Amino acid sequence: MSPANVKVTHGATRAGRARHLLLALRSVLVSVAGIVAVVLIWSLVGRLLAHPSLLPSPVAVLGALRVLLAGEIGADILASIVHLAAGYSIGVVIGLLLAVLCARFENLDVFIEPVIEVLRPISAIAWIPIALLMFGVSESVPIFLIAYAATFPIFVNTLDGVRRLDRLLLNAARSLGASGNFIVTHVVIPGALPYVLTGARLSLGVAWMAMVAGELVGGDAGLGWRIMWYQEFFAMDKVMAIILVIGVLGFVADAALRGLQRRLLGWNPVES
Amino acid sequence: MTDSILKIQAVRKTYVSVRTGDTIEALAGIDLEVPAGEFLAVVGPSGCGKSTLLSLVAGFTQPSAGEVLYRGQRVTGAGPERGVMFQDYALFPWRTVLGNIEFGPLARGVALTQRHARARELIRLVGLDGFENRYPHELSGGMRQRCALARMLANDPEIWLMDEPLAAVDQQTRTILQDELLRLWGDAARRPGAPTVIFVTHAIDEAVLLADRVVVLARRPGRIKAVIDIPLPRPRPAQRGSPQFAALVAQVWDLIRDEAAKAIVEEIDR
Repeated sequence: MSPANVKVTHGATRAGRARHLLLALRSVLVSVAGIVAVVLIWSLVGRLLAHPSLLPSPVAVLGALRVLLAGEIGADILASIVHLAAGYSIGVVIGLLLAVLCARFENLDVFIEPVIEVLRPISAIAWIPIALLMFGVSESVPIFLIAYAATFPIFVNTLDGVRRLDRLLLNAARSLGASGNFIVTHVVIPGALPYVLTGARLSLGVAWMAMVAGELVGGDAGLGWRIMWYQEFFAMDKVMAIILVIGVLGFVADAALRGLQRRLLGWNPVES
Repeated sequence: MTDSILKIQAVRKTYVSVRTGDTIEALAGIDLEVPAGEFLAVVGPSGCGKSTLLSLVAGFTQPSAGEVLYRGQRVTGAGPERGVMFQDYALFPWRTVLGNIEFGPLARGVALTQRHARARELIRLVGLDGFENRYPHELSGGMRQRCALARMLANDPEIWLMDEPLAAVDQQTRTILQDELLRLWGDAARRPGAPTVIFVTHAIDEAVLLADRVVVLARRPGRIKAVIDIPLPRPRPAQRGSPQFAALVAQVWDLIRDEAAKAIVEEIDR
């Protein structure tokens, strides 16, 4: 068996690397093709069906984007990041805290979980009227909506992660002399981390959407607010440019969390 | 037996099935004394409560009736003086080989340099040199089992509780690990204060090869059917294939055969 085996592994190193490169190249090409197709359909539909001032062409949007990037958009991005950082932190901390409490105390779990399960399907947007009355038009509206949206995914995933912990590992830790606190820091937290990080990513996704919605109707700054501002001036090219910026920044934020996930979960063959 | 390290007295264990609500009697009236330094093997067909017995001694579960006494003290929980080696390894997947081995000393507050020195010594002892920084998923079954053994040894436990530790490795690895286990325990030259071992296995030849005594369990409910002394001379690896060895294996097998057959029929019925 061994001579054949040796041959295969030798071949695999060079041919395998070349094939890997080819596959990577192909996936990049397909991704680019997807974007090109969307841009083509966009300009076609814009030309055939809508007035250019309603649906500006890709070229016009790129022009608007250049103007924005040279000017005031920095302040809007900063405002949005501040909203997101505040709301996301609040939501994640609440979600984590509730999940840990639910995992630790069984009675509390029975009390909290139904409340969460009823609130969870309610979109953050549904709370806008109440948030507006409570906070007025201010940064508090997007922050509240972001925190609300971010709480649930991380809560659900963290609780799931803690519950899925292998009982055998807990027994192993106990028989090795670990105390309750040591088990929490050295077994429960690292064991649940893959789920926590998945929850953090899902939370960021919904938080990003809640941010735009909150700023759109209830904020006094930020990218969402700026969309409404330009809509009132009927500057649809600028509106589209900001939507593009929102998409790209959201992608970058998720990529950052994905990187963190890979870094922290090198031990986990499924995640890496 | 005045120096019994472990006394199991009239221990019963019943479970209530979550699905059907039926009461299942895993162990019914177990009495057993284990002298310090003994290598005790426990064999029996599947469903005889071998693992339950080990869990009770480890302190993972409590008996429904009766008592488990360790050094005269009632067992109420797990402790580092009773080391456990699990059938499915139970290594921490987020810790490297080194990180797994030093988990016990770390939990007990042993200083960094000391626990690293001990861990490296054990890594050499179980033959995992060069794999210190690998994660469990990067290891073969035999290597994982060595790592689990070293992790247990790092605490210098007085008693080793081993739940089918070699069930999941191939035959060759198994033979090698049996010899290594005997060597680590002190097969050739017993020193005072040598560890006590309770070794659960379904392999009769393995039980006879390793143990001073073999406990044969019967099933439904789990109870002791026989305790057989193994008077084979040590070191034991040389005894593989001796006529005396074969005779003892046959003797234990005679005790188990009917039970094992019943177990198979029940598996099929279900």
